[in-house]
Amino acid sequence: MSLTLEQRKLKRTGFFPAFFIGGLLAASFPILNTAVRPDQFIYQPLPALDILMDANWQMIAMLNLSFLVVGSCIMYHTEFSGRAMQKMEALPQRTGNLFAAKTILLIASLIFVLLLEMASLAFCSYHWFSVDNGFWMDLLKTFGYELALFLPASILVMVIASLCPNMWISLGISVICLFVATMLPTDSFIFSLFPFAMPFQTLTGAPKVSVAPISVLMAAGGETILFGVAEAVLGKIRRNLA
Amino acid sequence: MTNMIETYHLTKTYSDFTAVSDLNLHIQKGRIYGFLGPNGAGKSTTMKMLLGLTKPTRGTFQINGKSYPKDRMAILREIGSFIEAPAFYGNLSGEENLDIIREILRLPKSSVGEALKTVGLFEHRKRLAKKYSLGMKQRLGLAGALLGQPPILILDEPTNGLDPAGIHEIRTLIRSLPQKYDCTVLVSSHLLSEIELMADEIGILNHGRLLFEGALQELKDWAQRQGLPIDNLEDTFLALIEEDNLKRGGDR
Repeated sequence: MSLTLEQRKLKRTGFFPAFFIGGLLAASFPILNTAVRPDQFIYQPLPALDILMDANWQMIAMLNLSFLVVGSCIMYHTEFSGRAMQKMEALPQRTGNLFAAKTILLIASLIFVLLLEMASLAFCSYHWFSVDNGFWMDLLKTFGYELALFLPASILVMVIASLCPNMWISLGISVICLFVATMLPTDSFIFSLFPFAMPFQTLTGAPKVSVAPISVLMAAGGETILFGVAEAVLGKIRRNLA
Repeated sequence: MTNMIETYHLTKTYSDFTAVSDLNLHIQKGRIYGFLGPNGAGKSTTMKMLLGLTKPTRGTFQINGKSYPKDRMAILREIGSFIEAPAFYGNLSGEENLDIIREILRLPKSSVGEALKTVGLFEHRKRLAKKYSLGMKQRLGLAGALLGQPPILILDEPTNGLDPAGIHEIRTLIRSLPQKYDCTVLVSSHLLSEIELMADEIGILNHGRLLFEGALQELKDWAQRQGLPIDNLEDTFLALIEEDNLKRGGDR
């Protein structure tokens, strides 16, 4: 598995600029939202991070999921558009490693975006709210929790992109999944396990699911493993049917 | 002489369609083997099976003493391939494309320049592959196959899309490969005239079945015994295919 090789394949595709500009856009949202209407938030009797997450995370999660969808489509479009994938399969390397390296690269890009967003939340907390001693620990927990909830969707979009040589099909499927997630009832634990709906949840319980975070984390871990195994199985089936 | 590639009853079926049927190939080391057949005869499917891109329905094969599927990775390390059409990353330059392959094969950096020079693309190495003409893409695909001078080359219609000068150049290059790099070449085409100028041995495939395998002179002798025309090899080939089609019930 070579991350640098996969990173080089993304040259001139717009993948890294998309994540960088997208990350800045998503990170600017809480700042603009709080700056435009500070009175709406600063008088609430809750910790600063809870207020900011409740007010902004739905939009941020939506944007992050969009970056994942676009990123996965770009990654596999470079493989399929010039039939490079066939050449890769005829070389002495496992296609599973190629998938793993691409997925790690996508998750690394997501971590970069999440770090920008956490920095933005920290800025808002210090600028508009009074912050207690446990703030940084809470911010770290929020970062870890949200990253874990994004993992199933990250792998699922990669599985979809790897299965569809036509980028528009994988983009269409992922966008439909994204819209379905926004339409699902927010107070149902079962519906909240839909991979694209999971990232909308926060540690403070928004939207409204009252389930222990550890249960959600375990579900995210289970889905992540499930989609990883699914990719391995589907890869074998695809080769057998070729 | 030892066989570099041997297939044993290699068969590939797709539901009720048989693309390759009970194929037994014998490709000798250091020779150019021309794989000949009309479009849809099963040439590309056979080559894909040899590269592990398609799983055989039945049968197996050995390449340089290594068996499929047990030694698939070891087999791929010894093969340079070009299947159906050029495969490349359009967003990368010709040089960057080959550098990706070089890194996977763990070859020295100098191998990229050598391959580009061999196919006459060195001057255009910095240009994006998507901006290459069809002929240049074809050359890039060939450079990818030649990278690191592998002992076996599998080339599927490598002169497709090239102009007459390019066809001559690539044909001459392929002809020189066994002597230059001590390699074995399996090259396919649907044109006997092309194979005639390149190959030492030929295999004729029709509807997935091997109709003939041997040297060109052996083909002439065999055709004469069968009562087929032998004045022009193109006519021999066409008559052979026609006869097989008639035997199969007029299915062309």
